[in-house]
Amino acid sequence: MITTNDILFLLQGVPTTLLISIFSFILGFIIGIPISLCRSFKIPIASQFADAYEKIFRGIPILVFMLFFHFGLGGIIPIFKDPFMTSVIALGMRSGAYQSQIFRGAINSVGRQQMMAAISLGMKKLQALRYVILPQAFIVALPGLGSEIALLIKDSAYSFVLGVLDLAKYADILRRGTRSFIFPYLAAAIIYVILTFPFANYLDKLGSRLKTKYGLR
Amino acid sequence: MGIEDSILACRDLWKRYRDLEVLRGIDFEIKKGEIKVIIGPSGSGKSTFLRLLGLLEEPTKGKIYFEGRDVYAENLDLNKIRAKIGFVFQEPSLFRHLTALGNVMLGLRYVLGMKEEEARKRAMETLRLVHLEEWADHYPAQLSGGQQQRVGIARALAMNPDIILFDEPTASLDIELTWEVIDVMKELAEKGITMLVVTHEIAFAKEVADEILFMDKGKILESGPPEQLLKNPKTPRAREFLSRLLGGE
Repeated sequence: MITTNDILFLLQGVPTTLLISIFSFILGFIIGIPISLCRSFKIPIASQFADAYEKIFRGIPILVFMLFFHFGLGGIIPIFKDPFMTSVIALGMRSGAYQSQIFRGAINSVGRQQMMAAISLGMKKLQALRYVILPQAFIVALPGLGSEIALLIKDSAYSFVLGVLDLAKYADILRRGTRSFIFPYLAAAIIYVILTFPFANYLDKLGSRLKTKYGLR
Repeated sequence: MGIEDSILACRDLWKRYRDLEVLRGIDFEIKKGEIKVIIGPSGSGKSTFLRLLGLLEEPTKGKIYFEGRDVYAENLDLNKIRAKIGFVFQEPSLFRHLTALGNVMLGLRYVLGMKEEEARKRAMETLRLVHLEEWADHYPAQLSGGQQQRVGIARALAMNPDIILFDEPTASLDIELTWEVIDVMKELAEKGITMLVVTHEIAFAKEVADEILFMDKGKILESGPPEQLLKNPKTPRAREFLSRLLGGE
């Protein structure tokens, strides 16, 4: 049976799990916005690059990227020697591809008419994006972003294969220490659910509330 | 009358979308203070024509002149010209994340570069002109279609444009809300605002227009003062269109 001490031991992995998830989400956001704009506004060459980026990072398993970055590129690029940073970068780059899709859908749902209305006032395209399109797209994207954070929290567990001391790794250590094959993983699974649910649920509800308030679809 | 003394003009204007020729060689001009109304059946190219004049789309061929200058040939700053051409769209196209006041202030702040307080003052004055000052803090979703269109008019008007283009601003409204918008447009007409209006509201055209233009299949088939064009249209297509339109009223 699992004890309170075992739970406290497991919880030591939570900060690392959350840090990997949050940093990779931020990196994904920074990558996802420009990629989505390149594709939504069909910027020559850049949109083809963006399309290829999305296909590559959505099509290849995250574990393969992590192993490739760490063991393949680690000898050439120093940052990939660090398992934590490798996890953040690999997850963040893949999240960029997914967040790009979320934002692209949101930008398209805001509609061409809004851009035209802003342009008709004499706004430059970048101003129209900054003040008209993106604030609305961000609201529409909130539920999707909630799901993305939940996905990152879950997939941060892959970092365990690189030796990162996250929740999954602590569960594995506990399994070896207690020789229990069920309870450590079951407890970790429950903690993952507790971590993912509030993010996804809060952003989903916030998105729905704001969409109703502003009459967005 | 020529291009030199017009605010907005075009010569031999063509627009093609793939295989579809929407505009086929339009000549047009409008002077300061004039009100012109465009009528015509659906699909005749009226909205496309207006978007081209508003510099929201580029023509396939032909020239557009703003205050006598060829806007595309002379490498002019199109954003600066667009700021002088107000545009009211067929569907209410307010920025949904901003209040009525925010919608009117946006162009003032970021296009005309006004300070917050100055922009707020001008925006409130303009909302007062369209009788919506009490609705300034409401979001578009909280306004009726007619109110949204009036905010749209205020948004264009606040920029102090040289001309306002209206693209069937009442097309999506029921009769009562239509009159809300038409009344505001009449008030603007009385103030001497230059307007080019695409509409099927013949009573409005009759009352305020200096000239009515009848468009069909991408061309202006005929034009003239309201009393002449509405009573004695020269072309069979205009006669047929007007008899259907007026017969339905």
